[in-house]
Amino acid sequence: MQKIPLSYAKPAMVLAKPVTRNDGTVLIGQDTELSNSIINRLERMDINEIVVQGEPVELDNDSAGGSFGKRLQRIDHLFRKHGSDEWMQQLKQFLTEYFKSRTL
Amino acid sequence: MQDLQTEHKGQILAVKDLPTLPIVLDEISKLLEDENASPEQVAKIISRDQVLSAKVLKMVNSPIYGFPRRINTIQHAIVLLGLNVIRGLIISTSVFEIMTKSMIGLWEHSVGCAIACKILAKEIGFKEPEEFAVTGLLHDIGKVVISIQLPEIKNNIESEVETHDLTFFDAEKQQMGFAHDRVNAWLADHWNLPLTTREGIAYHHRPGSAQYYPDYAYVVHIGDFLARLMEVGSGGDDHLPYLKPEALNHFGLEFKNLENILDSYSEELLEVSGLSPTLDE
Repeated sequence: MQKIPLSYAKPAMVLAKPVTRNDGTVLIGQDTELSNSIINRLERMDINEIVVQGEPVELDNDSAGGSFGKRLQRIDHLFRKHGSDEWMQQLKQFLTEYFKSRTL
Repeated sequence: MQDLQTEHKGQILAVKDLPTLPIVLDEISKLLEDENASPEQVAKIISRDQVLSAKVLKMVNSPIYGFPRRINTIQHAIVLLGLNVIRGLIISTSVFEIMTKSMIGLWEHSVGCAIACKILAKEIGFKEPEEFAVTGLLHDIGKVVISIQLPEIKNNIESEVETHDLTFFDAEKQQMGFAHDRVNAWLADHWNLPLTTREGIAYHHRPGSAQYYPDYAYVVHIGDFLARLMEVGSGGDDHLPYLKPEALNHFGLEFKNLENILDSYSEELLEVSGLSPTLDE
């Protein structure tokens, strides 16, 4: 899932988390598929960010951890000191597959 | 090396320069020597420092602990989280300002580690995930103290990391003969931290050496790895530390468990960007 600015929202994206008011009241439920009218409604409600399923947007600043796409890009670099260690390479492979599976 | 180490240790522990921990910590420690000390008594002491109380409450109500309802009083926080956790939070909020000035990204990394430790503890089935969380929050506190007490050495360490692509840990060892985990142990003794925390922060690089509470050391060891994997803030370098396979074996964790853990972790990380104990937010 990915937290994105509302300006990046597009129809067919699906909410991974409900949109709630400050007091916790659910305005738009989890798993709702976005449409233009829903997006407009969110704008009128002054919502700035939403959390959507998958990773449909390529964001520049990846806030802590979120983007698995970014993790995939970084994994070679992060593991660079462990090239000759069998266990770490195993771990790296597992993690690579994990990140890949989550960016689909 | 021995003499150099002693000299550095002396400098690090030069008490007058150590980050000022609130007086309340001292008072609490004294109170805790009496086994009958109640949460009310402790809460009363802490509440005298209103700014501190507010900061601690902010942290208690943060996604790190993820309580469904707002906790409004220190006493309630103590009842829910226990004294060890509150003490740990007091320390970590006290060094927050220095931490953010001395090492960029270290606070975020510490928070990231705290959350990872909490999730790990839950997955493994420990009853007190908050204790593990606060240990994760404090695991790099030695770096802050090194940075204040030995600023030139700290600059050298950062230089070595940058020019020779060393890990921060290796650069520390190179410059001082020891690293922040050793400093963590000294600080834990100096500040009278509970043994669980002490072992967690002093042995997170060599968890097999923890005598009394290896669970804490192993959880922080893995938590630190996960925080760096997800690049939450910065621990001083962008290397992944070696994850000891025995750490996973110790808890019977398999890759399948790691998947669950990473799923929960990435979800929780979405909630914490920008978390700090400062009161103007």
